Amino acid sequence: MKQSILYTLLLLISGNLLAQTSITGTVRDGKGEALTGANIYLEGTYDGTSSNLKGAFLLESSESGEQTLCIEFIGFKKFSKEIKLDGSSIELAIIELQEEFNELTAVSITAGTFEAGDKKKSIVLSSIDMVTTDGSSGDVYGALQALPGTTTVGESGKLFVKGGDSRESKTYIDGTLVYVPYSSSSPNTSVRGRFSPFMFSGMMFSTGAYSAEYGQALSSVLSLKTNAMPVQDQLNISLLSVGAELGGTKTWDNSSITASISYNNLTPYMKLVPQYTQWEREPESLAGDMSFRLKTGKSGMLKFYGSINRSSLTTIEQSLNQPGRTFNYKLVNDNQFINASWIGEIREDLILTTAFSFTNNQDRISIDSIKLNESLRGTHSKVSLKHRISDRVRLLTGTEWYARTYGQELPHAEFLEHNSYTNHTLTGFLEAELYASSRFITRLGARLEYSEYLNKANLAPRISTAYKFNDKSQISLAYGWFFQDPDNEFLLHSSNLDYERADHYTFNYMMTGNKRMLRTEVYFKQYRNLVKYGISDDQNYSYINNQGDGYAYGLDFFWRDRKSIKNGEYWISYSYIESIRDYLDYPYETVHNYTSKHNLTLVYKHWFDRLRSRIDVNYSVASPRYYNNPNNNTFNGEKTMAYKSLNVNWSYLLKQHVIIYATISNLLGSEQQYGNKYASIPDEEGFYRSAPIMPGAKRWFLIGCFITLSKNKEINQLDKIN
Amino acid sequence: MKRTTLLLATLLIAIIAMGQNEKYYQKMGETLGKFASTSSVEDFQELANQFGVISRVETEEWLPHYYEAHCYILMGFTGQLEAAVQDSYLDKASASIEKMMKIAPDEAEVYVIKAFYHTGYLVVDPPGRAMSTTPLINAAISRALTIEPNNPRALFLAISNEMGTASYFGSDTAPICEKAVRLLESWDDYKLKSPIHPNWGKNETEGIVNSCGQ
Repeated sequence: MKQSILYTLLLLISGNLLAQTSITGTVRDGKGEALTGANIYLEGTYDGTSSNLKGAFLLESSESGEQTLCIEFIGFKKFSKEIKLDGSSIELAIIELQEEFNELTAVSITAGTFEAGDKKKSIVLSSIDMVTTDGSSGDVYGALQALPGTTTVGESGKLFVKGGDSRESKTYIDGTLVYVPYSSSSPNTSVRGRFSPFMFSGMMFSTGAYSAEYGQALSSVLSLKTNAMPVQDQLNISLLSVGAELGGTKTWDNSSITASISYNNLTPYMKLVPQYTQWEREPESLAGDMSFRLKTGKSGMLKFYGSINRSSLTTIEQSLNQPGRTFNYKLVNDNQFINASWIGEIREDLILTTAFSFTNNQDRISIDSIKLNESLRGTHSKVSLKHRISDRVRLLTGTEWYARTYGQELPHAEFLEHNSYTNHTLTGFLEAELYASSRFITRLGARLEYSEYLNKANLAPRISTAYKFNDKSQISLAYGWFFQDPDNEFLLHSSNLDYERADHYTFNYMMTGNKRMLRTEVYFKQYRNLVKYGISDDQNYSYINNQGDGYAYGLDFFWRDRKSIKNGEYWISYSYIESIRDYLDYPYETVHNYTSKHNLTLVYKHWFDRLRSRIDVNYSVASPRYYNNPNNNTFNGEKTMAYKSLNVNWSYLLKQHVIIYATISNLLGSEQQYGNKYASIPDEEGFYRSAPIMPGAKRWFLIGCFITLSKNKEINQLDKIN
Repeated sequence: MKRTTLLLATLLIAIIAMGQNEKYYQKMGETLGKFASTSSVEDFQELANQFGVISRVETEEWLPHYYEAHCYILMGFTGQLEAAVQDSYLDKASASIEKMMKIAPDEAEVYVIKAFYHTGYLVVDPPGRAMSTTPLINAAISRALTIEPNNPRALFLAISNEMGTASYFGSDTAPICEKAVRLLESWDDYKLKSPIHPNWGKNETEGIVNSCGQ
């Protein structure tokens, strides 16, 4: 017995002295090209080698018996094969590695879509572009207006996409709807987005043919992803020529809190810089927000964001109905917003997202002594599940509940007449992404919605596909139906309405590589069931119905070059849009007033290393839009003047933590006029008096200073350590 | 009889275990020996492969992952490559770092290499990535220094970043140079836990000190 154990021991030790087996082979990719640097090894042993320039390898091993030979290489699937080692050499046939499926480099659906982020190949903008691209001082929507498919409508500031009006574009943050994404302002003045671009690390801006996950938008969806967990404690101070902001971040191992408070007042600025608008009280706002992050379990992340904002302004307006008379237009806006979400893996292949948003928005308007109130309170709750069935098949399914109450208080005789409606919408969506290979993807989806107020359901099919020719170029096609509730204004007066509908057909060709990108797109949109109405003698709506329709088609062109100019880059964005509608109170099918046929934007960015400065120049030109002149027999028969604006931003890194920023819009002082506004009643001669609609001032200036104080305790204490 | 068997079995296990351990040190030593003479992407790939082979056998050791990550980061630093290729190397480094964090979450060197990885990621596209990545680099260095306040590599990265910032802003580098000199003087006081533990940075610190003299 003893002997046998000793014998075994000896055998085990001497096992190392057994003869070597040599294994030879060649590694290639699917096209027969040699793969250099592949890792070839016997599983569980120290025996390994790499393939040479010809893809050939020689692996020597003193192991014996059944072993597993593995081959690994970046971008390819792991190859393994059982082999038997017995001292005689083994020659393997040519081994072809299968390309690994990689979401970041695989084909992706680009029809209608612009993505911003840091990594993915199909991205159009980087995160920093969202902050620096535009002349209106860090407005998310301003930056998007430098992309093709959008029209700049100066008297609105909102997003107008591919012939759609601003109501047809919806904004989502971390998956849930933002009912009121824009600030409030007096009529015919430009508004801004409510959220700072610094809050977001990713963006998906779809100008059509978006996923079945998104509904209630006929034209476009902007989906913003908030920042991940901050990693350091810091204090931010922003001093602007129009206000100040103070913010702070505190981090712990698994959680963080960020809070900020800001106050803006345009009085000093507008006293200094001549304005066209007459102000009784210049715009003023006070805002506070708070966000919270908590890591839960292995992969879960809870995010919470809440904000409170109050803004007010009073302008002096000239009455068009009674010449020589002026009146005060006063607006007080209160907005509260909450967004909360939890995302986590419940199994390795299963991601659950639950999200909730709440919006409460109130506009209190006084026109001299007449008061009008408008209020909207809405929630959006959403649960969705992403199932990765395999590398090639993903399923997305979810359900949502939208609830909103919209109300108006209008003067009626001696008291305010309150009028409101409440709608609940339940939805469900299901979508499958199928990769036939890493070059060909098809996305099939459908979305079902039921509105309790309309007492109607809709089913929207969506299909899109993309094919990649090679590493550089790909095409993408998309088709889908999109539904949206009629505007609040009409729903307030009638529940006997149907969903408005748009069908999108999109064809996209994209070429990327070598820091250059070309993106072209042609599309066609068919609108139906748009709301139409007439005006009765007492100035009320009469016969509101869904008999409106229209169409839009056009071409988008986008070229971005980050290669040709050292420390500089430029992009060219052009879109051609043809859009015709018969809706609202239009007497017949005709052009509408928020689309320019030709839109061109040139963007140039340059980094001056020695001056530690970054200059962003943005030049936009848009052809005239149409507007209606009631004195003219042709509806929407007048043309505005072409829009031209040259905007320049300058950012200067004074110290590592101090940035000085200056921006000027319409540097050249090009004349800007957005058509005319008209009296609602004609004068004695039957003529409607008019006044031009202009921006608030010829130019807009902003100077700011951003200070970040971070508390890197350990690093700052370096002096004490040594 | 039973006791003898047990004894022998224990001995056997001990011998095998020691043999394994020796083999691990020997393999690591051999592979590390090639580090100094490696410069091309292809050579680093081969080296990374070898560390990969070791890391797959020694599932409880963080050092093979450390060096595998180090190789891929250096590959990512190589210019003239498409950003997507650089990113693919850095992704490999990131995967190794993730594994290492699970094995040795309280090891300062793990955060040093993490800071180095983030630096590599930033270098691929500084204008696009600086804003989001700089805090990550600082946080990793801070973490390393919290665990081990005298870790020379963490100190080197901190000084090197500080130096970069100071020369960029044209501010006085003298106090930073002083720190670099002190770091270099005390460099050898830091006791390595084993001959195969990370031991780089002295040359680079010397580089800073030399540039200070000019």
